Amino acid sequence: MRRYALEGVHVLDFAWVGVGPITTKYLADNGADVIRIESAARVDVLRVSPPWRDGQPSSINSSQFFASYNTSKRSLALDLSKPRAREIALRLLPWAEVVVESFTPKVMRNWQLDYERLSALKPDLVMLSTCLQGQTGPRASFAGFGQLLSALSGFYHISGYSPDEISPPYGAYTDYVAPRFAACAVLAALDYKRRTGIGQHIDLAQYEAGLQFLAPALIDYFTSGRVLDARGNRSDRYAPNGAYRCRDEDGIERWIAIAVADDREWAAMLGVLGASQDPRFVTMDQRFAQSDELDSFIGALVRERSAEDLTTELQAAGVAAYPVQSCLDLHRDENLRAFDFWHWLDHKEMGPSPYEGLQHRMSRTPGELRSAAPTLGQHSDEILGEMLGFSSDEIAELKRERIVY
Amino acid sequence: MLPQLLNGLRMLDLSDDRGAMCGKIFVDLGAEVIKIEPSSGCPTRRIPPFLDGEAGEDRSLYFLAHQAGKLSVTANLDSPDGRAVVRDLAAKADFIVESLPAGYMDSIGLGFDALAGANPRLIYAAISPFGEDGPGRDYKAYEAVSWAAGGMMFLMGEPGRPPLQMSLPQAGLHAGAEAAIASLLAHFARQRDGRGQRIVINMQACIVWTLMNEQAMPIMHGDFLRRQGVYLGSPKLRRKFVFRCKDGFVAMMITGGAVGSRSTRRLVEWMDEKGFAADWMKHQDWSAWTPAVFMALNERDLRENAEMESSVERFFSTMTKHELYSEGARRGVLLGPVMSAADTAADEQLAAREFFVDVDHPALGRMIRRPGAFAKFSRTPLAPPRPAPRLGEHNAMVYGSLLGYSAERIAQLRASGAI
Repeated sequence: MRRYALEGVHVLDFAWVGVGPITTKYLADNGADVIRIESAARVDVLRVSPPWRDGQPSSINSSQFFASYNTSKRSLALDLSKPRAREIALRLLPWAEVVVESFTPKVMRNWQLDYERLSALKPDLVMLSTCLQGQTGPRASFAGFGQLLSALSGFYHISGYSPDEISPPYGAYTDYVAPRFAACAVLAALDYKRRTGIGQHIDLAQYEAGLQFLAPALIDYFTSGRVLDARGNRSDRYAPNGAYRCRDEDGIERWIAIAVADDREWAAMLGVLGASQDPRFVTMDQRFAQSDELDSFIGALVRERSAEDLTTELQAAGVAAYPVQSCLDLHRDENLRAFDFWHWLDHKEMGPSPYEGLQHRMSRTPGELRSAAPTLGQHSDEILGEMLGFSSDEIAELKRERIVY
Repeated sequence: MLPQLLNGLRMLDLSDDRGAMCGKIFVDLGAEVIKIEPSSGCPTRRIPPFLDGEAGEDRSLYFLAHQAGKLSVTANLDSPDGRAVVRDLAAKADFIVESLPAGYMDSIGLGFDALAGANPRLIYAAISPFGEDGPGRDYKAYEAVSWAAGGMMFLMGEPGRPPLQMSLPQAGLHAGAEAAIASLLAHFARQRDGRGQRIVINMQACIVWTLMNEQAMPIMHGDFLRRQGVYLGSPKLRRKFVFRCKDGFVAMMITGGAVGSRSTRRLVEWMDEKGFAADWMKHQDWSAWTPAVFMALNERDLRENAEMESSVERFFSTMTKHELYSEGARRGVLLGPVMSAADTAADEQLAAREFFVDVDHPALGRMIRRPGAFAKFSRTPLAPPRPAPRLGEHNAMVYGSLLGYSAERIAQLRASGAI
């Protein structure tokens, strides 16, 4: 029988939207039993966000955005604004080793489900609280989306053609940085608790996690006063460096990304492009100094080439290059396919739908998308009945009173 | 004081800028991370820019940031004696992370199978730009290439101008952090049965994971997004989400529906106080205003959206980003100023949480301020920050105390160029 790395780990997951659910997805896909306690009164924003099955928001269970971040989990739907719903959540606490939540700090306090109260009942609890700016400080209750935090933490400022022409990373970028730190934090704290019996509370500000990815620029500012600004595709290490337009395909723009680190790669690139050495661009220093002319020079050489074929030729010659892949291209990408990245899982309401897979592969205890995302409250009956011993009449009553969904 | 989280665990770091973040996270969690460098130094020592703009093997800002707290030893992988040293280290290690070309470690006898033979507990993470099974197995990938391969570059930039990368490399940091997660997952399996394993981290997949599920759109909605600069949404309804203000930019989404109507109502109240709100904006039922559902889009939605955007921009141009941030937070308007490193350095929230730390760098003769802990742990705070190591700074300690080499042996290895 297959064994997963986190078999036997039990997680109560109050998190919603991006960072929390992506963090607990790492645990669930690796065998932990993760019960998402979803508030039926305050439904996860992602459940009502595109992409949807058939392109239409037909129900609360038809969002692939939600589905992708909630594989391998179970869903218990409660109206946590009601005391009896919170009693039910608390009855699961003895079972759980880990609790995760991602609200602004007052929400769990108002529900009387904050760390102080939970750890009084279960001293060795490992609990992660992750909000945008942290549990303390004047901005602790700052609410918003990852897009705002990505602007706030500095990623927007360094994205664009010039300081006055910013052009941000797509989406809620910090939502995809913070879970990497959050997952490490939970795993290390859980391992520690298993070895020592000591649990604890982790306060992970998505802001502070995001800033780890900007550390060199912050150190530069602190030591020299220099502020890193948006500078197109200019690089400190590579010239040429950037995206160059190739031949259109099916009426759609195709571009190739190329980066050259040294004279050997430069010579190899010229060879593949059938160009002779240009006296303006012989050394790295020249190429850095005349990067606009360099971009025009390369742009003319690749404009009628196929991005795919050119990638193959450049890489064979030892030059770093790849087509600039659209979301459609990603589904046809040979390397992602060879990694078995895309998965079709059969969702209870959506039927077969496309999920992005794992970013790593373990040789002996690989994780996997063990099941499609749950519908809202899909496992309410089994959790209440099998785990908490409620009779079917009691469950029906709780549903009538809109405590359980 | 309690011991740190991963106290007693040891990682060997043979990675470059595609994996440095892995060891950095392990350092923060309290593990001992030994960076194995060639005698010329890890390539990350040569990544510009440098401290005060002056090149030097201890002055790369990347190196100072992401190699902090690691121990440095030198070992020459081209020499048989150097490889023997790494084998000895691997026998005493719990984790290895590397980002060398595919097959290289196997070819010099330091692959997973060889090392695990002597140390079955070993967890070995290999960071690969495109995975080890596809046509890109041996491909090179620098930042722009990984950003392109993972789909982020296609979505950054303005129509009619080139797709963009960020002005500070990111892809390798995602891969390194992912390697840390995977290594910890494998550690749980090892706690159960004492056996390690080999892990491949796919950098391309790591970038695909940053796309906010946009990658499902082609399949579920039959179309895919093109880059739109400071606009969001479908080609049918571009919605501006970065607005100019007096001294820079502010990010804000003008939304209605369940998610954004409260913020938009408060924004309109605020605009009204200053004379920037049209009558219809004040009487609009924002909870029912959901032009994001573009299937139901009509002329009126388009007109209202355009008018909101231009009114907001005129309103914002009367204030600085700091004024907008403070007052927006007070009023419950969801917005985020576009902050630079200078703004971040002066941020009161980070100051209140004592996020930045000053670390003494004796080799450079100065204190350097840097980002602090990635999270606050109530019982076992992350490791106190230490400087990045000088090249080979810990040779004597690691080779002498840890491996028990004699002074003669170390001198001999040094003379032969092995270390």
